[in-house]
Amino acid sequence: MVLATLRDVRFTYAYSERPALDGLSLEWEEGKVHGVVGLNASGKSTLCALVRGIIPHFHEGELTGQVQILGKDLQDWDPAELSTAIGCVFDNPFTQISGIRETVFEEIALGLENLGVPRDEIIERVRRVVEQLGIERLVDKNPNGLSGGQRQKVAFASIIAMDADVVVIDEPTSQLDPESSEEVFEIIHGLKDRGKSIVLVEHKIDLLAAYADTVTVMHGGRAAMSGPTREVLGSAELRSYGVRPPEVAELAGLLQEDGRGIGIMPMTRDEAAHAVASRIEEVSRAH
Amino acid sequence: MTSTALDAAAARYLADATLGNPIRDMNPLILLGCIAATAAIGVAAPGWIIPLAAGAVFVLVGFLGGKGRSYLMTFLKLWAGVGLILFVLRALLTRGGRVLVPLGPISVTTAGIDAGLRFATVVMAICAAATLFFALVPMRHLMLALEHIGVSPRVSYVLLASFQSIADLGATARVVLDAQKARGIETEGSPLVRVRAFFPVLAPVFLSAMSATEERAIALDARAFNREGAHTSLVRLRRTRPWEWGALTLLVLAAVAAVIGGVLGWF
Amino acid sequence: MPIELRGAGFAYPDGTVAVGSVDLRIEDGERVAIVGQNGAGKTTTVKMMNGLLRPTAGEVLVDGVRTADRTTAETARVVGYVFQNPDDQLFASDVRSEIEYLPRYLKWPEHKREERIARAVDLAGIQDHLDTNPKDLPTAVRKFVAIAAILVSDCRYVILDEPTAGLDSNGLDQLTRMLDRLQAEGVSVVTITHDMRFVVDTFSRVVAMADGGVIADGPRDVVFCDDDVLRRSRIRRLETAQLAKDLGLSDDAVTVDDVVRVIP
Repeated sequence: MVLATLRDVRFTYAYSERPALDGLSLEWEEGKVHGVVGLNASGKSTLCALVRGIIPHFHEGELTGQVQILGKDLQDWDPAELSTAIGCVFDNPFTQISGIRETVFEEIALGLENLGVPRDEIIERVRRVVEQLGIERLVDKNPNGLSGGQRQKVAFASIIAMDADVVVIDEPTSQLDPESSEEVFEIIHGLKDRGKSIVLVEHKIDLLAAYADTVTVMHGGRAAMSGPTREVLGSAELRSYGVRPPEVAELAGLLQEDGRGIGIMPMTRDEAAHAVASRIEEVSRAH
Repeated sequence: MTSTALDAAAARYLADATLGNPIRDMNPLILLGCIAATAAIGVAAPGWIIPLAAGAVFVLVGFLGGKGRSYLMTFLKLWAGVGLILFVLRALLTRGGRVLVPLGPISVTTAGIDAGLRFATVVMAICAAATLFFALVPMRHLMLALEHIGVSPRVSYVLLASFQSIADLGATARVVLDAQKARGIETEGSPLVRVRAFFPVLAPVFLSAMSATEERAIALDARAFNREGAHTSLVRLRRTRPWEWGALTLLVLAAVAAVIGGVLGWF
Repeated sequence: MPIELRGAGFAYPDGTVAVGSVDLRIEDGERVAIVGQNGAGKTTTVKMMNGLLRPTAGEVLVDGVRTADRTTAETARVVGYVFQNPDDQLFASDVRSEIEYLPRYLKWPEHKREERIARAVDLAGIQDHLDTNPKDLPTAVRKFVAIAAILVSDCRYVILDEPTAGLDSNGLDQLTRMLDRLQAEGVSVVTITHDMRFVVDTFSRVVAMADGGVIADGPRDVVFCDDDVLRRSRIRRLETAQLAKDLGLSDDAVTVDDVVRVIP
């Protein structure tokens, strides 16, 4: 099935004069990781809010165009039903905590309680995400006293625990160190393996290149580019939208310019390593 | 190495919630009933000895509940701050009885002392009851008990969140105070310095509280807060023990007797 | 005069040690990146530099004066510190008043006030937002407003806590331009960041922290080639540098350009 179909979508927030989305069209399949990149204020967060149904149900404004989520018109969705069908973590880790729970364990359990999950299962599921994210040391801490990075992990864990089929995540690693960022991406990859669909806004382009199936480049409220990761992130057009290519692609580009092209547009270190290794072999054979 | 913390937490939540003390582990609503009944006895009974005794009982229960020291401090502060003033005002303004200390139009009389003691001990018994309850029972447990008898989780959320936001404001204020200091704004020293620093602290505290509200609402919605249907609870309160019911029954009977007695003039 | 940490450590009242014992010297006009895992003690260390935290062990000297002997505000006028979360720092109802607050508080004469404000606004690139309520600006811009509110002061040291979080490429360019100008003016900048590409592109001196201590302090090209340091501070080489190492092409390539050079 199709996760989301957007046709010529325009949206202007009630307090704003300029549209946040301005002729946005795209189509996302289910069961994939869909990366979203672009400059600040290009419409990335608004797109997340739309797919998750926060627009138009929470944020007021003028919405035109066609939005279908999981085969159903956005306007026909019951807001409460949509909020459980699509999990969502926003980018400000300081406001993603409920504020009413005294321990991280209880914080992560909150969503499961609201879903009516039996106690034993809640405990099991909380345990699992805590281990996955390696936040065992935080379980007894008060969520309101955590650092930005810790809150970001707890907020992420709280949504993952709810096990929705679709998860929208806006910059989940902005406050995290490189190792934790990679762990978060590993978990996202694991979700995909279990058939989940993920929409992921992320500035860390190297990680996105390695883990996303498709990438959408937002620019001025519309999708300037949208398609398979390699096609989009390997395109020369990318930089004109303020997005830097992945480092390995940059390397391939520099080698190409220098007449030492490696034949492919790599997206991961492995791909680049293979290509460079075979090039080295060629060169040494030629000698 | 750290999975022990997780194991311990999981085991703790798997078992009934306990604060490690039989008084504090009572069903919050039954405890509330017991405390209210004790306060009612103090109020219904005449004179000042029984209300004073009710206060003493609360302090004793505070110690039994393992919160004695901090509760005693609260209790004494209440007496020093509110009780004494009530006593003095009442004592000075009530006429009649034998004059003990003549002070012109407002003299201290035996009737005044009696009335003052009565008034102060009664008000203190009520205040002490309320503070004792909140010293012993975590809000979360109270809300759970309320949800058990059918109060909507939304209502309990609003109550919990209001209490939490008071605590949050304090924490945010400290962070913002630091941010002002880091900018070279003096916040330590004379009262004038502190007042000058006050506005820069106040504004961001309220602003962040307000802007956080909307984002929090959306974050909560993402946690299925608005979902219809039964919710479950990770924390399970202990089943109410028979002695708790017994204690409540006895105290309520005594309170009813005291009230009826007061109305019928038994005392 | 430099900032000096001499055996500086910080433990919370409950006994939790955030930083064990740190020796660090930040010279005038220097540019230093502090890297390391979440919880390594980076923020605690920089808070000791500007007096927000007073060391519970050892001492911190700013211009030769112990931070313990001054109020935080006094130290902070020399060592500015931009918070990780701009919302904790901003309070005025428009950007201009936000930036004017300190100059007015310090009762600077008008010409100095105007000059410092113009400089701060220009450095942070927020000319277009002066009349806006900071609350209505995107996080990335709010961050620059918070930076400008610190840069308006006469501080000779600036500490930035995670300035790149949530910044797009335009924001990164702005930040880099700002750092270059500050360096030209002789203002030292100490930055905490998780963005290794930003570190490699912009900093020559790198301090790596782990478990509440400094485990490496030196030129970028040395720190980023020390496998033991990388492992203990949980940081990474850049992707292509790692590739060059994996293929046995080079152990000490750091930037993409280094890597281009070693590929035959």
